[in-house]
Amino acid sequence: MTWISNSVTLFGVVLLAHACYSAQEHSALQSFRAATSTLTSSAAVSASLPVDITIETVVATLVLCVGLVVGSPPLRPIQWRVWAGKVEREGEEGFKGSDGEVNKDYLGNPFKALESRPGFIDIRKQRKDFAEWVKNGSDGSGAKN
Amino acid sequence: MPTEKEFQIAPIVQESVMHNSKALYNLQSVTASLFGVSAGILGLESYNGFLFYVVFTMLTSVLFYALHVAPTSIASGKGALDTSRYFRGPYELWTGGLFNGLAGFILTWTLFYGLVRA
Repeated sequence: MTWISNSVTLFGVVLLAHACYSAQEHSALQSFRAATSTLTSSAAVSASLPVDITIETVVATLVLCVGLVVGSPPLRPIQWRVWAGKVEREGEEGFKGSDGEVNKDYLGNPFKALESRPGFIDIRKQRKDFAEWVKNGSDGSGAKN
Repeated sequence: MPTEKEFQIAPIVQESVMHNSKALYNLQSVTASLFGVSAGILGLESYNGFLFYVVFTMLTSVLFYALHVAPTSIASGKGALDTSRYFRGPYELWTGGLFNGLAGFILTWTLFYGLVRA
């Protein structure tokens, strides 16, 4: 889903670049007119920027704002119990970055050591998981738990 | 300030704190530079320019809150405007970005003001 935020951001950049070029041409035209006319024009060039360039700039800024906010990565909970619950429920998928790869600073399930205690192993479930993993062609992490 | 005992009862994940503040910092820096470009194009002068910056940075914070913090935060039972699920204090989300983006804003503002005014 990053393509939508990238395209919105790109559209905003294009719009802003167009507004910038328009404003630059407008002020170049005004100074050219002031140089070739015999009347003494006022120095307040900045007050006479056309309305449509102003509107285009503001709209481009808003579009860029929205595009950048949507494109920023999802936040992670900071309370340990909420974070640990998220890790247990979603595994690696909850921590994928925008490029689809797991983030480099993802430490893994903090309860993994508990799940391999010998007195608590559920061997039938692990056998079933292993059979499913083999069936799925061993794509993914391939862990037995 | 939460006490040491509260940190033992409800510990904070350092990795998440860093990730969240890095995401917010990057967003604030990039948007501050872009607001500078807009202010330069519009030809805003002293107080108007800073007012523009403050207004749009607040707008960005509100948008960020509405899109990233609010959906899961309100679903997990926190009140409106409560950022404690993702950030350690309210100031970090709402007002922290104003100062770290200010330099970038002024830089691009003066640059584009000079470029566009020929």
